[in-house]
Amino acid sequence: MAGTEALDLDSSTITTGRFGTSALRQRIESIAIGTTAIVLLLVVWELVPHVLPMKSGTRLFFTVPSRIFDTLWEMLATGSIWSPLGVSAAAFAVGLALAIVVGLPLGILLGRSATLNAMFDPFITAFNATPRLVFLPLLMLWLGIGLWSKVAIVFLGALFPLLINTHEGVRNADKRLINVVRSFGAREWDVARLVVIPNALPFIVVGLRLAIGRAILGVVVAEFFGAQNGLGVVMVRAASSFQVDVVFAGLIVFAVLSLIMTGLVQLLEERMSRWRPQRAENE
Amino acid sequence: MTAAQLTAEPVGEPLPRASFTARHRNALLGGLAVALFFAAWQAIFLILPLNPLFFTTPTQIAAGFVDLVESGDLLHDLAVSAVPFCLGLLAAAVIGVPLGVVMGWRVRIGYALDPVMTVFYASPLVALTPLLVIFFGVGLSGKAIIVFSLAVFPFIFNACAGVRAVDRLLINVVRSLGGRERDIYLKILVPSVLPYIVAGSRIAIGRALIGVLVGEFFAASEGIGYAISRFADIFAIDRMFACILTVMVIAVVLTEAIRWAERTAFPWRAAH
Repeated sequence: MAGTEALDLDSSTITTGRFGTSALRQRIESIAIGTTAIVLLLVVWELVPHVLPMKSGTRLFFTVPSRIFDTLWEMLATGSIWSPLGVSAAAFAVGLALAIVVGLPLGILLGRSATLNAMFDPFITAFNATPRLVFLPLLMLWLGIGLWSKVAIVFLGALFPLLINTHEGVRNADKRLINVVRSFGAREWDVARLVVIPNALPFIVVGLRLAIGRAILGVVVAEFFGAQNGLGVVMVRAASSFQVDVVFAGLIVFAVLSLIMTGLVQLLEERMSRWRPQRAENE
Repeated sequence: MTAAQLTAEPVGEPLPRASFTARHRNALLGGLAVALFFAAWQAIFLILPLNPLFFTTPTQIAAGFVDLVESGDLLHDLAVSAVPFCLGLLAAAVIGVPLGVVMGWRVRIGYALDPVMTVFYASPLVALTPLLVIFFGVGLSGKAIIVFSLAVFPFIFNACAGVRAVDRLLINVVRSLGGRERDIYLKILVPSVLPYIVAGSRIAIGRALIGVLVGEFFAASEGIGYAISRFADIFAIDRMFACILTVMVIAVVLTEAIRWAERTAFPWRAAH
């Protein structure tokens, strides 16, 4: 069967680089094909209204990439994007910072104490399984529709990946190393400094990457339902007045920011885990 | 504290006659913590005069829950939300898994679709909810499509990763021993890809729940998400909490059920 043959060939080129410089060639090929696919997608999208006859009603909800980029450019050029983006960024930054401040120490504590971990476990499981969105109406009641309900949603979203990965990294520390350090007379603080924290760092960075994604999602969702300012608010208003291109422009801004931040963290991740074979658990 | 942690590690043979409390230590501690939490919540009203407009007690929540169950509202809302949830999730699996398998199987298709999918996955697709609602209305199809668009990516990426992780050596072994194509599919591909798909479905369920809630917060006239936002609007805090806790319980049950299935069906992956 053709399919299995393809599987054979393909996985051989993936796993072994036995054709000399094939690694580099593959890299170039993957980038070329990937770029072509994206360009092709944009072109097809652009051509849709020219090819498909559309009713004027449908046309109202439809937009093409060139219009979206025009709108995005205009928003950037006139500067109308900066003030709502700043509001969103503030909620993102404060919420993420709070999540780090709470998540890391708590994760280390729970990783080092089996008793505390057993006590916190039901709450962490419950909150991590539940979409944090469900608390949004409650948080809006308690904190109003300003900055702080957004911060709370971002915080709740970002906290658990950080907490869980830190905990995993701490718990995963090599018991023999801990014992060695202890035999040389180290105290709990030294154990943490010399063994536990270096071991947990790659896990924490993975947690941070997941947390950034969740935090951005949190900002968008919170601004959709209860806020007065922010890029999400701009997008909702645009949607209800049928400015579809503005919605997509906002989506692109969020996506690009998310990709840049996750990419930076991923670089950090690769740098830090270069010397270790094992990989941190992803989600 | 540290001593307890060291002894909690399974070193060598487990003790033959550990007492009941020792064996169920974690579950007991967890249960105790939850009980303490609710007791403290109930007790805090004795000390602090909190505004009952914004805060409520566990007993009131329980009463609200009983009300909702007896009137049948809760079941009705849950049933209304369950339909788009299941449809969207099912469509996501049916479309996402084959797409992911193809992406993992044919390297060039993978090269072509990977960047596109990554861009979609990274962008907060929830942001398209207003458009989807305008396109597809506030009913079943709109919600199901929101659920689908959020839940499809974990299936795609995990099926793709599963196929890429197939051990080529195993295929050669089956071939050398005279296995047929069918054996390669049933004995190697399916068993190595399935755990990835199940793990993906766990993530997908979480995202599908978000999809249902977003859809219902945004525009709906029934459903559990609508119930939560309506009770918040009319300051029926006790009933709102009852709905929130119901959603939490459902989320935990679904996620843990899949974890359990992963542990039982694929014990060789349980270490991950």
